[in-house]
Amino acid sequence: MKNIHYTIALLFVSFFALAQKSTSKTEQDYYEIKTLPIPKEIYLEVGGLATMPDGRLAVSTRRGEIWIIENPYQSANHQVHYKRFASGMHEVLGLAYRDGAFYCSQRGELTKITDTDRDGVADLYEPVYQFDISGNYHEYTYGPVFDKNGDMLVTLNLAWVGFGEGKFAKWRGWLVKIHPDGTLEPYAAGLRSPAGYSINQDGDIFYGENQGDWVGSGRVTHLAKGDFAGNPGGLKWAKEPNSPFRLTLEEIQDNGAPMYEAAAKVKNLKLPAVWFPHAIMGISTSDVLQDTTRGKFSPFPGQYFVADQGQSKIMRMGLEKVNGVYQGFCINYREGFQSGILRERFGLDGSMFVGMTSRGWGSTGKDDFGLQRLIWNGQMPFELQDIQARPDGFELSFTQAVDVNSVKKAASYALRSYIYKYQHQYGSPIIELKPLKISGLEVSADKRKVRLVIDGLRQYFIHEFKLEGIRNESGDPLLHETAYYTLNQIPTGGRLAIQASNRMEEAAEVVKVVAKPVKSTKTAIISDAEAMALLKKHTCLACHAKEAKVVGPSYVDIAKRNYTDKQILALVYKPNPQNWPDYATEMAPMSHVPAGDVLKIASWINGLRSKALLNHD
Amino acid sequence: MRKLILLSLLSWTCFAQQQVNLKDLSTFRNPSTNWTIEGAVQAAYSDTSLQVATGQGILVNTLRHGKYKRSDDLEFTFSHGDIHVMFEFMLPKGGNSGLYLQSRYEVQLADSWGKKKINFGDCGGIYERWDDARGKGKEGYEGYAPMQNASKASGLWQSMEIDFQAPRFDASGKKIQNAVFKKVILNGILIHENIEMLGVTRGAVSLQEVASAPMLVQGDHTQVAIKNLRYETYDKPSVRMGAVSYDYYTGKFTEPIIGTAKPIKSGKLDKLTYKVIQDKNDYLIHYQADLEVPESDSYEFQSYWTGSGVVKVDGVELNQGAHWYSEMVSAKTNLTAGKHHLEVIQVKDFPWGPQALGLYVKRIGSHPVALHDRTSLLDPEAVGIIEVKANAEPVFQRSFAFHQGKKKMYVMQVGDPSGMHYSYDLKQGALLHVWRGPFLNATQMWENRGEPQTSEPLGVSVTMDGKFPLVLAHQAQGDSTELVYKGFRLKDGRPIFMYQWPAANLQMEDYIRPNAAGTGLERTFTFKSTSPMQSASELVLGNSYHGIADVTAKLIGLQGQSYFVQWDGRPGEVLNPKQGLKQERIPVQGNEVSYQLIW
Repeated sequence: MKNIHYTIALLFVSFFALAQKSTSKTEQDYYEIKTLPIPKEIYLEVGGLATMPDGRLAVSTRRGEIWIIENPYQSANHQVHYKRFASGMHEVLGLAYRDGAFYCSQRGELTKITDTDRDGVADLYEPVYQFDISGNYHEYTYGPVFDKNGDMLVTLNLAWVGFGEGKFAKWRGWLVKIHPDGTLEPYAAGLRSPAGYSINQDGDIFYGENQGDWVGSGRVTHLAKGDFAGNPGGLKWAKEPNSPFRLTLEEIQDNGAPMYEAAAKVKNLKLPAVWFPHAIMGISTSDVLQDTTRGKFSPFPGQYFVADQGQSKIMRMGLEKVNGVYQGFCINYREGFQSGILRERFGLDGSMFVGMTSRGWGSTGKDDFGLQRLIWNGQMPFELQDIQARPDGFELSFTQAVDVNSVKKAASYALRSYIYKYQHQYGSPIIELKPLKISGLEVSADKRKVRLVIDGLRQYFIHEFKLEGIRNESGDPLLHETAYYTLNQIPTGGRLAIQASNRMEEAAEVVKVVAKPVKSTKTAIISDAEAMALLKKHTCLACHAKEAKVVGPSYVDIAKRNYTDKQILALVYKPNPQNWPDYATEMAPMSHVPAGDVLKIASWINGLRSKALLNHD
Repeated sequence: MRKLILLSLLSWTCFAQQQVNLKDLSTFRNPSTNWTIEGAVQAAYSDTSLQVATGQGILVNTLRHGKYKRSDDLEFTFSHGDIHVMFEFMLPKGGNSGLYLQSRYEVQLADSWGKKKINFGDCGGIYERWDDARGKGKEGYEGYAPMQNASKASGLWQSMEIDFQAPRFDASGKKIQNAVFKKVILNGILIHENIEMLGVTRGAVSLQEVASAPMLVQGDHTQVAIKNLRYETYDKPSVRMGAVSYDYYTGKFTEPIIGTAKPIKSGKLDKLTYKVIQDKNDYLIHYQADLEVPESDSYEFQSYWTGSGVVKVDGVELNQGAHWYSEMVSAKTNLTAGKHHLEVIQVKDFPWGPQALGLYVKRIGSHPVALHDRTSLLDPEAVGIIEVKANAEPVFQRSFAFHQGKKKMYVMQVGDPSGMHYSYDLKQGALLHVWRGPFLNATQMWENRGEPQTSEPLGVSVTMDGKFPLVLAHQAQGDSTELVYKGFRLKDGRPIFMYQWPAANLQMEDYIRPNAAGTGLERTFTFKSTSPMQSASELVLGNSYHGIADVTAKLIGLQGQSYFVQWDGRPGEVLNPKQGLKQERIPVQGNEVSYQLIW
């Protein structure tokens, strides 16, 4: 009976949801999240996931255990079964299964774990490599990821002492290769917090980086041997005889200019393949995984799925190589996971296991930890399929034929470009923001591709696409309308000739970006609904909620600080994380949000104070 | 960044003790002839009596004239009200004694070593009360078992620390507040906290509670030895503060210096409090008050604030500096009897961090006096403990851990359902701690994320030397040994650590498990390869800076008899590797060498 009640309740909820939103499709209509139940006494703070060829799933945890789960695909029976395979290890943030043994990273050791008597419980723990470690809490160790030669890639987080520091223990801030004979090969450096990385089908390594010192925003970077990815915390070890390159901190400029300027002087400074704008496309990039399921996992085979811990979501990344350099775009894919995502691994059926923990950082998903599965139900959403660079602009492709009228309207688009500072300070505001104008376009015969000619392309910059007005032939909007393309290289080749037939029909709307000096006139308080619309528009809700503590403080708590509206404006443009020492994640400067909007929000926030006084004793 | 604050507010740090003279029995009133002063005491853990050697410093009840006479109880000459007392004691097997605070409230001293189930009558228990009127079989009531069995083996020195608050009476002699055991700490383990005594315990000299009475050591049951007895009582008068006047300034003050600034507000207060401050930052507050000092003595000023500040008495700067509110800043000064001028200046030039201001004055012989209002200093926030249990099967857990004040990075902690656990440096093949009781406190490591990411023993712990115990014959034991760690395999759920020892060209295994008798841990090295160096190897049984007690030919007490080492085979050889340090070794014979640690 209990189960039946449950089903009825679910039906009711979905009817209700349908009744409310009969026209606009949601992520859930295509990309379903299934939750694997966790026994109450297990504290499954997921650090690593390994899909096993026999249909089981192995999960390693921050409390040092490896659990093997039977029936993780929940076929026929929704219940799954946990058995503890190994335990007692030191914060296991990576797990791999190979030839009947597990390989995992502990803080100070890459360990091979074997069940020699095959009773389902490990009985042999052997060090493959012992890492130097100073004992700083932030010296995390991630991996291994096996390459095709059987070498193990491991990434080594920097210590945190008010800034990222790698000098206390050898190879911190590096990606290293551990050979099966136990020797270490330093491979690439400049890593700050490399929690997630993987090898794509072409054998290239990509890693996700978190915003922080020398890292203006989250990003995914391709690492080749000898690359320096930007954070100099680990450069002490570039002096070692087996370092693949030589570089010192003094050779790196720290003037707040963008990273590409520094890269002009430091030849192995590697620019990100794709920037993930902070607070919009996550706040703490974690795993990166290419869809190798040949169409089972998603409508986007070959593209990449990038997880975020703080925002409990998975984003999509499409890459292309231009002039031999990786670059591409990112776009939201699925939000609403139960905790902070650290790990993604494909199951045998092409679904994705998503492993989570939020301890120490907090996340939009409120659970302390979790294990879920992301499944595409085969329905084709109306999505941006791909963005590719062209000599004079971009070519957008879509999963369905577009409504040609909608794509021909300039008002359907809002485009702009910007970049971040490269500096020792934590994070960066958006800088050098410029609106972009579409001067012409061409729609392909199958109406699935739209070529845009854009004035003012800037190499190395993040090009933001907001495609609010684009519709498919049924009149549906895109499931996700905003994407960010990082234009490391502009391809050479033919340009689209602009004629009357393909000229943009009306002038593109120029997005106002300059914050005007604000007069001290009192801003009228907007309604909650208006405030929510503004907060959503400017992505504030990614980290803040009205009453609940999410990644950042609630608006009610901010109201209690008695800031003036102008102080709030100043703090939005230039946050002072020290005002909120109890929050793990520092706020990014949001100076691109128009001052008028911030002031409206500020007066609404301050209005919450008087409401709180009225409504709650 | 989240600041993880280690709250150590009002921790039990300042214990100004008075040492009880144990050169003779003059501290005691009419001691029976069973009590003597001796120079050394020792016993094997299986001995039911103590061996003594003449000298001074140890109080021993030898029971040489028989037992079960209350006249053998030992009464101190001085009376006490509130008291904080510390001492070390040794019991023979089956030992039973106790310390009566005010001759009325007994903390039991008993040989409860290894008992799984304990009650009020076990070591550290607050003894039961007794009333014949309750009827046969029901006379005993109340009484408090320790929170855990924190006993060590008979024949070892154990430590006891008791913070006792005497009952309070009004002018008419009516009790207005019960006696309280504020803390009882046995062998470093907190076993009672704030237990209120509803009346005297069984065996009290009187049912009548009083404000002041002497301590009493139970002497009628078994032998007991006591040494290093220290205490503090709290009957001296301390400072009194008059009305506080304050001046409040705003502006950018980075140091507690007023300069030419003018106050924007002034007023009077009963006590110091930050609550009159109107801003979160960029202010200076200056408090002034008269301090009435009752007697010339040394007074310690203990202050707490967030920001910078200074405490001055008669214009002399005592405490100062930039601090977080949970850090105590302390300074001592000699003050003469009479009126003194107290000043506190406090500034905060940053907006984050909780505001707080606290100031205590501590005189030896009196309780600390808070000069601040209670609400001016935040209560520390406790976190629920995350305990790793080893109740059903052996468990092991790697972590960072402190050993002798140093953070070790490659530490394995192994817990056993027998209740005997150890921590082990995987890099060094070395024992760090052995302990008994609950297994591991992982709260620091598993709650949130910050420094220092360590775990620690939850039970009664003995610190080991942290060194690899095998050495080549006639060679000194180094502070560290070059070893190649090869991992561990599990046997019956317990790890067997595998090493290569290059200096001896040997492969070996190190297996630590509960000994057959269940009295301690047995450690066995097994050589898995052969080399000519094998027969030229020696096992260091232990290092001791406090002498080695040769209890028997193959049982020694180390580090001031804080643990035993026992072995089979040849007797050991004692070396004196450096000034004050004794080291005992045995030769390695065959493929295996083992020894036991008993505590």
